[in-house]
Amino acid sequence: MSDAMHPAIAGAQPSQRAEKRPEAPLFEGAYQDRFEKILTRYPDKRAALLPVLHLAQEVRGWVSPQTIRRVGELLDLTPAYVRSVASFYTMFNLRPVGKYLIQVCVGIGCDLCRAEEVAEKFLELTRTRIGETSEDGKYTVIEVECLGACAFPTVVQVNDKVYENVKAEEVEGLLKELD
Amino acid sequence: MAYPYEHPRETRVLSKYFGDEDAIGIDGWIERGGYKALAKALGMAQDAVTEVVKDSGLRGRGGAGFPAGLKWSFMPKDGKLPNYLACNADESEPGTFKDRELMRWTPHQVIEGIIIASYAIRAQHAYIYIRGEFVDIVRVLNGAVVEAYERGYLGENILGSGYGLDLTVHAGAGAYIAGEETGLLNSLEGRRAEPRVKPPFPAQRGAFGMPTTVNNVETLASVPGIVENGADWYRQWGTEKSPGTKLFSCCGHLQRPGNYEVPLDFNLKELVYDLCGGPPEGRELLGVIPGGSSVPILTADEIDCDVSYEGIEAAGSFLGSGGLIAMDDSTCMVRAVRRMVEFYDHESCGQCTPCREGTSWLAKILRRIERGEGREEDIPLLLDIGANMAGKTICPLSDSAAVPVVSSIQKFEDEYMGHIRDGGCTAKR
Amino acid sequence: MDNDRKLINVTIDGIEVSVPEGKTILEAAERLGIVIPRYCYHPALSAPAQCRMCLVEVEGAPKPLPSCVQQVQDGMVVSTDCAEARKARRGVIEFLLLNHPLDCPICDAAGQCMLQDYAHETGQLRRRAVEPTVVLGRDHVTSEIVYFADRCILCTRCVRFMEEIAEEPVLQVIQRGHKGYIDTMTDELFEHPFSMNIVDVCPVGALVNEDFLFKARSWDLDQTASICPGCSQGCNVLLGTKEQRVVRLKPRPNPEVNSHWMCDYGRREVVRWGAGIRAEVPMVRESDRLVAIDWSRALDALVEALSEASGGAKAIVSPGASNESLFTLRSLMERVGFEGGYFHVTTGSEQVLKGFPKLALREDRAANARGAELLGFERVDYVYGALLGHRGVVFVLEEALDGAPEDFGEGVELFIYIGSHLSPAAGKADIVLPCPIWAEMEGTFTNFEDRVQRFNQALRPPGLARPIWLSFSVALARLGAGEPFTSVAAAFGALAEELGVYSGLSYERIGLNGATTAAAGSAAAARR
Ligand SMILES: Cc1cc2nc3c(=O)[nH]c(=O)nc-3n(C[C@H](O)[C@H](O)[C@H](O)COP(=O)(O)O)c2cc1C
Ligand code: SF4
Ligand code: SF4
Ligand code: SF4
Ligand code: FES
Ligand code: FES
Repeated sequence: MSDAMHPAIAGAQPSQRAEKRPEAPLFEGAYQDRFEKILTRYPDKRAALLPVLHLAQEVRGWVSPQTIRRVGELLDLTPAYVRSVASFYTMFNLRPVGKYLIQVCVGIGCDLCRAEEVAEKFLELTRTRIGETSEDGKYTVIEVECLGACAFPTVVQVNDKVYENVKAEEVEGLLKELD
Repeated sequence: MAYPYEHPRETRVLSKYFGDEDAIGIDGWIERGGYKALAKALGMAQDAVTEVVKDSGLRGRGGAGFPAGLKWSFMPKDGKLPNYLACNADESEPGTFKDRELMRWTPHQVIEGIIIASYAIRAQHAYIYIRGEFVDIVRVLNGAVVEAYERGYLGENILGSGYGLDLTVHAGAGAYIAGEETGLLNSLEGRRAEPRVKPPFPAQRGAFGMPTTVNNVETLASVPGIVENGADWYRQWGTEKSPGTKLFSCCGHLQRPGNYEVPLDFNLKELVYDLCGGPPEGRELLGVIPGGSSVPILTADEIDCDVSYEGIEAAGSFLGSGGLIAMDDSTCMVRAVRRMVEFYDHESCGQCTPCREGTSWLAKILRRIERGEGREEDIPLLLDIGANMAGKTICPLSDSAAVPVVSSIQKFEDEYMGHIRDGGCTAKR
Repeated sequence: MDNDRKLINVTIDGIEVSVPEGKTILEAAERLGIVIPRYCYHPALSAPAQCRMCLVEVEGAPKPLPSCVQQVQDGMVVSTDCAEARKARRGVIEFLLLNHPLDCPICDAAGQCMLQDYAHETGQLRRRAVEPTVVLGRDHVTSEIVYFADRCILCTRCVRFMEEIAEEPVLQVIQRGHKGYIDTMTDELFEHPFSMNIVDVCPVGALVNEDFLFKARSWDLDQTASICPGCSQGCNVLLGTKEQRVVRLKPRPNPEVNSHWMCDYGRREVVRWGAGIRAEVPMVRESDRLVAIDWSRALDALVEALSEASGGAKAIVSPGASNESLFTLRSLMERVGFEGGYFHVTTGSEQVLKGFPKLALREDRAANARGAELLGFERVDYVYGALLGHRGVVFVLEEALDGAPEDFGEGVELFIYIGSHLSPAAGKADIVLPCPIWAEMEGTFTNFEDRVQRFNQALRPPGLARPIWLSFSVALARLGAGEPFTSVAAAFGALAEELGVYSGLSYERIGLNGATTAAAGSAAAARR
């Protein structure tokens, strides 16, 4: 993240980071700067909710009840309202996730090309079940709907990185590459 | 380098620079003739720009095919309220991935279109609502927006014209329904992306209660070419009712899946067999969904039509978003339909009873049939649930969920009956 | 104003009707007595048109339209009952019942559940779904209100009440699609002085007042139109009564007073009013004891004592007594000389309902302080102070006399106590007359803005308790002042004749919705 981010894009860089700081203050330093820039781009504070939740998740790794309360405070919204909106969107993790959030597309395009085998392989190798985090805290594997790259099945997104044309046999190598 | 495949029979207008790394940055884009259309537009009267787009016959590429120029002309011109433009980059319809490539390879083509459209509708602020999962695309787009600001294509007094525009990139957070234009507006306002009851339409009351135009990425990307070269230039392609070229995202069981740009009078069968190479070696084509998972499936022998809005409609489906999904004879139709229905179940915002409850009921029944626990009476039941879901809700997602079920039963009832009789799937997947 | 709008003609189910422009089909149909089934629509909330229950056929429209938001247009031809509309409705009901537990026998809403009503209406009998229903839990949303997730039809009425009327969006839809449910912030209960209205707006039994849970089936309750006596607002209510007890209060719509709402204090507070040891028989002092007698002899004693009295009369009254009771009391006092009547009002903090600010739980926690004032009674902080040194006749009407000085009632010529409960302070009275509480009688209250409202009798008074306007008008007749009132309407009529502020009002004109005094009416007109 550049220190002097242009306000036009300050709110649009959803990022799932390997490193998570669940207790970090919202917001400080460059993040505070980004938060303030986001507010300048909308006629009211409510509209900043999605970008600010993204920002908070980038810092803390997930959207905890404390995060919800804090974001509500920052934007003059009730915690229940923030929770309602956050729970509408699948990208906000309302539970902590592993260091690597592995999203396997099982949309129709990928499913036609055996996406389920890829998903199974990830589950097998990380020894987890869908949505659950591995014991070492490293992996959370989830199945997601179409990621918008259907010509390249199976599409897998790990944190901020998109992998295209992933075959079941390549999963092991991909996992190795992460570390 | 073409991306991922290029075919000599394509007509590359929008996708001319796909695969060309140098076209991404602003210098490369300007070298390739970029931002000339903007300069030209800013020298024209606002309504004259709208007129050209109207004359070109450009139709919205987000799915509904509404004429773009006509939509712009609904915007108030009195300047009493701030007008907004929202570029719909939420692209989440299964089988559709054209906007992604447009933004990835030619972000300035999209931005230029946004600036011209904003000028025409007298907007001072435009938003690009991009689906949050597009992390890498967002990065490219963000870079391009900053460049456009730095070069004075955005901000105050653009190219000395006196016209000013701010552009903000706004990332969604995982909700297909945020692609429906009023769901998008709610989402942009920091709300649940629940579609709104219409009327009022966005041009009357849109983002933040103000007049707003919502246009798809591809629609807007088509604008610079039209403004620069004129309506007739655009009409050299396609049909009277469907002028121009269009990107088709082709996926599924194809030898060369990818985006192909063809004029709208191109033959669908040739698109599938020539450009995409048809199904993999040794397989037969079973069916084609021509316009994203929300449109009816066509059988292999129904696709000898042109890809215009009216051509595909005559064949029994819709052009939709141009997301073509091909299925060969290894496909389990029940499974494929179940997957599509599960998608709608997952994405239903849940406001409307028929959609919220109907989608999950359909999915349950399909899963049961797939498991081999289907009953013959499930077929009429599925059709009747579909009838109770279609045309009865706030937005067409409910209809979309019923479409694959109803159309696949109409055309592939044997597949269902096979599952019911044989206690499960016998497809050689 | 409706009157200023253009009238347009529409045909609904073959009947033509003229309605003002801008009305919805649903509203227009109501004028014809056609009630289009609805769930999410509530007349006092915004209309999200999301339940899709109210779909109707409109000639020329390609799809059925939601009548709750579709405005009528001139010449529109609507069918609410054609095959297509019926099928749509049956479809919605079937969808809603897919995961509904159908635990009607134990559901608190049974008998007033809109799902049950329409399910019967549309003849949804055969269940086509073989998939098992999804079973969900229950959870508190306030300390008193429980949410039953699997009964919820996600109509969002409760959400919209909190958002639009309470203006505190603390109750929300969580998740989306079929996973959606209603909740507060994680692990929090909310508090709001008007919270219980969410139970009323819930069209099914998904939000339930725990206090009322299983207490009574709603069809077991008798309902009576009344006025909440909890504060000077005078919310219009329905009293739900059972076995001689007020079980609950529900708001009765009145756009001028409380819209569709009422506060929690009112509901909690006044249901307790009948409790305690009640005064059931008239009593008179015989040497140092009070002995029970019948009304006729009690009134004889009263009349005799008053005829012999030499000093004037002072009174301590309750600001919750009805206008008619206060009026007859005052008339009776005038026979011996009215020297003053006093009342004290218990107060609390004001709580305005932000989205309908006409309604507030008022500081004055009594229904008729204004009425008492208009009748010449005086509001004081310390009622006993006003009676210090008074040696003549003392009346106490409906005041428990908690905190009265030790010697209260001593050294006066005559002490008459009229009350619904046996108060220790009544022990020194010469005559004790039992009277009903508000729920056991009818009459009028005048609210804080001079609106006169009628409340009806819901319960039988205990024992021989009798409204004071009745017993005192008999006493007055015996003292030679006209005929006894044969009805509370007559009592109010006499009051209106005597007191200028009420001129032009009659019991009949007040009706179910109340009426403002001439002065209040013109003041309101001036404000407009
Ligand atoms: C459920 C649903 C999802 C939609 N998703 C998208 C989308 O992802 N992108 C898009 O451009 N249009 C989408 N649309 C269409 C938009 O509502 C709208 O028609 C379009 O953005 C208008 O732009 P256009 O006129 O340029 O096509 C969707 C519509 C529906 C009903
Ligand atoms: S049809 Fe479905 S997605 Fe559309 S508004 Fe209704 S519930 Fe939401
Ligand atoms: S709890 Fe009741 S009022 Fe609230 S959404 Fe559910 S059914 Fe509607
Ligand atoms: S506001 Fe007053 S009158 Fe209304 S319910 Fe509450 S206490 Fe009763
Ligand atoms: S289906 Fe996997 S990316 Fe579209
Ligand atoms: S009452 Fe009209 S849609 Fe719910």
